[in-house]
Amino acid sequence: MKKIIFYPLFILLFSLSSCSMFEIDNYKAPAETIKGEVVDVATGKSVLTDQGSEGIRVRLTEVSYGDNVTPNPDFYCMPDGTFQNTKLFKGKYNIRIDGPFIPLVRADQSGTPIADESTTMEISGVTTVKFEVQPFLNVEWVGNPTVSNGQIIAKVRVTRGVSETDFKSKVEPMGNYNSTFLNITDIRLFVSYSSSVGYRARDDRWSNKIEYTGSDFNPLVGQTITIKSAGSIPPGRNVFIRAAARINFDTPVGSGTRRWNYNEPTEVLIP
Amino acid sequence: MKNIYILLLSGLLFLIACSKDLNIKPKNFVADEDLMSNEAGMEIYMARMYSNMPFEDFKYMAQWGLNFNSWLGATGIDGTGEALDRDGICTAFTNEDNPYWGSAFVLLRDANHLLEALPQFKGSFAEPTYNDYLGQAYYVRATVFYAMARRFGGIPLVTKVIQYPADQDALEVPRSSEEDTWNQILADFDQAASLLSPKSPKQGYSNKYVALAFKSEAMLYAGSVAKYNETVTGRLTGLGQKTGTRVMGFAADTWQSASKKYFREAYKAAREVMLNGGYSLYKKKWVANDRDAQYQNMVDMFSDLTSPENIYVREYLYPTLTHGYDAYSSPFIFRAPLSSGTCPTLDFLELFDGFDRYADGTVKVTTGTSNSTGEYLLYDKPMDFFKNAEPRLRANVIFPGDVFKGKEIEIRGGVFTGSTPIKPLFSDYSYANANQLYQQLDAYTKQPKALYLSSNSGSSQELVPYNGSNMTAAGANGPFYSSGESCITGLYARKWLNPDPSFVAGEGKSAQPFILMRYAEVLLNAAEAGLELSLAGETTPDESDMLQVATNVVNSIRERAGATQLISVIESSQAGRNIVRKERRKELAFENKIKWDLRRWRVQHYDQREGFWGEAKNKDLYSNSSEYRFRGLYPFFSTQTGKYFFDAHFQWVSMKTFQYNPIDYYFAIPGGEVSKSTVIDQQPNR
Repeated sequence: MKKIIFYPLFILLFSLSSCSMFEIDNYKAPAETIKGEVVDVATGKSVLTDQGSEGIRVRLTEVSYGDNVTPNPDFYCMPDGTFQNTKLFKGKYNIRIDGPFIPLVRADQSGTPIADESTTMEISGVTTVKFEVQPFLNVEWVGNPTVSNGQIIAKVRVTRGVSETDFKSKVEPMGNYNSTFLNITDIRLFVSYSSSVGYRARDDRWSNKIEYTGSDFNPLVGQTITIKSAGSIPPGRNVFIRAAARINFDTPVGSGTRRWNYNEPTEVLIP
Repeated sequence: MKNIYILLLSGLLFLIACSKDLNIKPKNFVADEDLMSNEAGMEIYMARMYSNMPFEDFKYMAQWGLNFNSWLGATGIDGTGEALDRDGICTAFTNEDNPYWGSAFVLLRDANHLLEALPQFKGSFAEPTYNDYLGQAYYVRATVFYAMARRFGGIPLVTKVIQYPADQDALEVPRSSEEDTWNQILADFDQAASLLSPKSPKQGYSNKYVALAFKSEAMLYAGSVAKYNETVTGRLTGLGQKTGTRVMGFAADTWQSASKKYFREAYKAAREVMLNGGYSLYKKKWVANDRDAQYQNMVDMFSDLTSPENIYVREYLYPTLTHGYDAYSSPFIFRAPLSSGTCPTLDFLELFDGFDRYADGTVKVTTGTSNSTGEYLLYDKPMDFFKNAEPRLRANVIFPGDVFKGKEIEIRGGVFTGSTPIKPLFSDYSYANANQLYQQLDAYTKQPKALYLSSNSGSSQELVPYNGSNMTAAGANGPFYSSGESCITGLYARKWLNPDPSFVAGEGKSAQPFILMRYAEVLLNAAEAGLELSLAGETTPDESDMLQVATNVVNSIRERAGATQLISVIESSQAGRNIVRKERRKELAFENKIKWDLRRWRVQHYDQREGFWGEAKNKDLYSNSSEYRFRGLYPFFSTQTGKYFFDAHFQWVSMKTFQYNPIDYYFAIPGGEVSKSTVIDQQPNR
């Protein structure tokens, strides 16, 4: 009679099992790769950016999945203006990027599309894509930065990557156009121990900025501007610096995030 | 082997049932006629609705959202600058872990069902009772819509019971435009106010003036959003991708008229409560020119259920319906089982009267022109620093050396044994240098040692010989530099804590009520709406002089608070508006209101952050781009002089950096809701 206890146990055990418990979940891990670069249509140079959510945002939407799809989690370009994602499922994707350049996807106030320069493509194996954009600004070093008493003195030149008429012709149809959009609002000098220096990797002790109100900057476009680091960097350190500038226009429109255009990072030895 | 048959047979028995008489209503099934045909049943229906209301009281944590849990109870730690906490819950209000979406529709269904089903039972109730029930349902619906709208903007306006199963089209409700959403909230609050009785028929139920008071708050939110969206780059508006509806923000040609309309409604609602509501500011123990009485009066008002200032209160009852605020936010010496959840900031203290200041408005702690120059000012005891502090501040904050629950609250950052005069401990107190801490100073780490600090309580306390005995480096409540459970800012919050010395705190031991709406807020709503109308060039909605009303309001609140009165009428200007905003920030601190105010003023992102404190304040003092921080006030004891000095420094223990970007003004719609529906739009700027 004692053995009777085993029957219910056996039945219980059996009822808890199912065939799928003995199978291996053999759905293949996502392994397709998208590699992309963002270049200036005028010069062919990479559009340099910040590494993080203030940089160039890459949004993939798998359109082969169904009608009502939500985008994959966003990711961001590397500082040199390239991006890559090696863990994608095979399929057809819409690729849209948003950054400090004329928006690729433009619609008017009622939501009617005006232009859509985003790309829709099959991603399988290693797929590459190149976006040609019109960056708002170009930032470049003038000469080499100098150091005095632990303070870095850098010279930069800011030029427009897109002409005012071109900007207006493309942005004005989107509605709510304001002539202040083109004003350059600030120049930054980011300082960091990290070579991926930028807004996200900056040291607040030394990074600095110059702010401009209204159209004050307009006469300075193309001129050499001197910007110094803040504070005093201890001698013997190696730091990386980068300059950035932005206009009074947020991308994507409505997000309130005004993104900077950057120049390439450079290493500075503090004597 | 026979046993298996017995088992099988007995198993079969369970599968058999008699099918006759299944048309008898089961006893455990409660139908409309059971609940809605009598007052006892309606009480059950109301209890269900009111227990699910999106109230932000002791059981609400901004980071977690509405999950009705008092764990880690703390107030004002959501990046508003009121207070700081050691944990991850101390973060800017950029999202809620439990978005208020799914549970909102459950409650909406209850309210809509009541509105649709109750008319069948109209004959069972007296006319006023019947109307009151309908009014409660409108109030519930308005409250839910309002709670959602201030989080998401345009929302699905479900105003009827959706029967299931039905066609997909009937089941899916897209998000309405933000303007339509606020108009619906306005209509529902108006319906509620017209149907509800002037006094709540039962404790916890709404009444006419509760509805009007919350209407004024909601309309102030709507008017501010319409107006101050314009101050954000990109105007914070956009059309939904799926529906093409303006689910976020206002159109360029309607925001102005919408903003004026909402401010007008806010003003009218607040004025009606002022004129006919019969409420008044709590002044039971208040005595003119008696700072102690004014302070005690403002301590008592938060636990006095008979207060004439209370409009709407969430009550608790020991031992069945309790919370644990005292178990988490009491000073360290009353630790049970945690402590120091709510530590007010120095920046908050600086809003109040009664302190000497530098030219930039920050509190003066040295003889110099800023806190990095000159020598420290010395005080015989820490409380001397606060001897002129506004009584309202003392009712909000426990100062170092003040008394709470019959005990002196000893707060001391450390002991300084160096020579006098004492120069500032740091050379740079700016934001850029915020990470430089006391334990890294040469005076602490190198010989000769002049600064003693403690990493923790008990045996970790460093001892300093003084007057023949040893004194601990840190006070009994800290700050201890390795313990986030000590007094991390040098100040403690007093508001909401149970002041009774015989009360022993513990989890689920607290039963203080939470005041969800009080008369002071209605006054401030009227003042702010009046200022905004005046700034927009509007005429008064009633006969009153809007600027005079605002001036009287501010002065009556300041009189009760023991603060300096205004001597002239508030001007119709940004500065005038800021007087009202700052008063609001002071009066309603730690009441889960300020985070919404900062949100609707759109002053939390960097570009507009100089308005963060309600008044214009240089944002670079406490922020850098999207990030910002707050400061503490740390008392130190000098053995050479036997006196105390204070150091104003960015948060020393459990350092927190907050971040806020313009997209955070509208929370993301939960991703799952967007992907499973063909009509629910994500925010256009996400």
